[in-house]
Amino acid sequence: MSIKAAPLHQKFVTPNLWILLFFMGSGAVFAYFRFFHGFGSVTNLNPAYPFGVWIAFDVACGVALAAGGFTTAAIVEIFGRDKYHALVRPAILTAFIGYFLVGLAVFFDLGKYYNIWHALVYWNGTSVLFEVAWCVMLYLSVLAIENLPNVVEQFKGNVRLPGPLAALNGLADWLLHRLDWFCNKTMAFFVIAGVVLSFGHQSSLGTMMLIAPYKLHELWYTPLSPLLFLTSAVSVGIPMVVFEGTLAAKFFGRKPETELLSGIAKYIPLFLGTYLLLRVGDLAYRGVLASAFDGSLQGNAFLLEFALFAVPYFLLKRRKIRRNPTTLFLCSLSVILAVVLNRFNVFLIGMDMGPEWSYFPSVGEWAVTFAFVAFGVLLYKIAVNYLPILEKEH
Amino acid sequence: MDISRRKFLKITAAAGGTAACSVATPAQARGPKEPDPNWYGMLNDSTRCIGCKACQVACKKENKLEAESTLGDREQFGQPIYDSPRSLSENTYTLIKLHRDEQSGETTFVKRQCMHCVDAACQSACIVGALKKQPNGAVKYDADMCMGCRYCMVACPFNIPQFEWQKAIPSIKKCTLCSETRLDKGQPTACTSACPAGAITFGKRNDLLQIARERIAAEPGRYAETIYGEHEVGGTGVFYLSKKKVSYAALGLPDFDYRPVSGLTESIQHRIFQYFIPPIAVYGVLGAIMVYNQRRKKNAGIEGGDDEY
Repeated sequence: MSIKAAPLHQKFVTPNLWILLFFMGSGAVFAYFRFFHGFGSVTNLNPAYPFGVWIAFDVACGVALAAGGFTTAAIVEIFGRDKYHALVRPAILTAFIGYFLVGLAVFFDLGKYYNIWHALVYWNGTSVLFEVAWCVMLYLSVLAIENLPNVVEQFKGNVRLPGPLAALNGLADWLLHRLDWFCNKTMAFFVIAGVVLSFGHQSSLGTMMLIAPYKLHELWYTPLSPLLFLTSAVSVGIPMVVFEGTLAAKFFGRKPETELLSGIAKYIPLFLGTYLLLRVGDLAYRGVLASAFDGSLQGNAFLLEFALFAVPYFLLKRRKIRRNPTTLFLCSLSVILAVVLNRFNVFLIGMDMGPEWSYFPSVGEWAVTFAFVAFGVLLYKIAVNYLPILEKEH
Repeated sequence: MDISRRKFLKITAAAGGTAACSVATPAQARGPKEPDPNWYGMLNDSTRCIGCKACQVACKKENKLEAESTLGDREQFGQPIYDSPRSLSENTYTLIKLHRDEQSGETTFVKRQCMHCVDAACQSACIVGALKKQPNGAVKYDADMCMGCRYCMVACPFNIPQFEWQKAIPSIKKCTLCSETRLDKGQPTACTSACPAGAITFGKRNDLLQIARERIAAEPGRYAETIYGEHEVGGTGVFYLSKKKVSYAALGLPDFDYRPVSGLTESIQHRIFQYFIPPIAVYGVLGAIMVYNQRRKKNAGIEGGDDEY
């Protein structure tokens, strides 16, 4: 490994920064109303739709889209495909940011957010949410540890705290050395733990809505749902790495890592194919395929979801498509949108609460959601600028 | 729709919880919960209800709930309506509604409230155990425990738990079976006491079933043959009787399966985490692959590098 990752150290205040801050600011305004005047003042949530876009997108999609972290870690660290090593750090970083935002989003969505620690103390093992909460907490901790080497590498033997804090330089440096030792000894343990926790977490999100057999549409209500959530998350892992890698190259004015991305993209059809096989097999076994064609909102949403999964599967099998940065990016985007739509279908569109109720996210809900996305991008921008995440162009 | 739903449920039951990571031997999810004969409940005889809403008023008084104005409904109905809320809410724990059976044209008043299920979905779903079946039969909510995640609202097949959408610090609200204000003092629920038509009967679960069966037997021409809640979703604490020609579905009491709705989630959950065997097994397999790959590379002298793939 001759190539080393290094901080970008680019100019930080750019027009893009102001756009991010604008989104975060507008989200904060609505968040103020949510926290001090109740959900009713901001959201369109109602008794039949207690879960809205904050759960469907910020949590369900957020977790799925953080899958780049564990899939890349598994491919490189566990299955030993070291040539993709350059993709691991950005993927683990985005997974950490993603999970951090999921935790933050849950905080916004909980009515009694100050009781969030109750999940640690009061256990109800029959609840799927219990498992979801524990996996978020544990995996977020694991991701933090997996990101430690970035900080250690940047500052070890080079701690220069400003002003009076300089007295702590020695202590901080000693701490970094200990952390370095700790990371070197234990990283393999945490890498595998991260993958196992992801397995548990992705699948248990698929279990969540199975508690509502009379509400969730039959196209999505299946005992196979945990496995489908897991396999679709694995499928979206590499597309997320391609998506982020391409955008990062564009916005930071770097040469795109086409070679690397189109190389690792050869695994996508493998994962997608597994998912599609399970999905179609499940639908056929349960004999519910007909309801996909009944012209209902749910049926159409399913067809669109399926097309977004299936089209990139067939396209990405061709070498030519994978080697072209544009088609590779578009195919990855399709898989990402497919997973997003799938999570929306399970958590919102497929939930039928009877004719008298409907739900569409309000402006305020979208604003808060966009604020989370913007915050995530900002954290990424800060991290790659000041920490060794991205490798030198090659 | 109902038939396909039921068939579909049977298939899912047959398929069991084929869960991800499930490599452990098939585990027994906990068996069906048996109703305790000492649990209290109510019998709502819809053939007797006259729609006076005295129960609604009594409930509001008992629980100190605010009155709800529907004067804002001019837009929807073309005129201001000032009679009564149209759905359960954080301020309405019980509600009388008029239903019409499409087939027979028969109209019926029906009371709605928490069903105090034998195997309550909300209790299974609650992440911190803020909803619990009490020894007296009431499904009780603990606001201090609650995190406000609203998963109970998703889980409840009857859509009973309500959320305080207008409050900065919201809680879940629902019928308490007057558990602390009256039951503990040996009194029947407020709605039962208020009913002038004898449509609500308070008592122990077995006694209520007995009364219901006697009524059906005495007047077979008046009553539907089944007692709603005896078996639905694993049994409930509140029962319904309907008119002969009025289906329960027409009263907003869906044709639910006899299994508790939490059966599938609990069995999947149980399998994934049984004695932590599946996660540890996955961990072991992944670890073995990792060690194998590292050793292979070391032997091939390409440590830290990559083999051709």
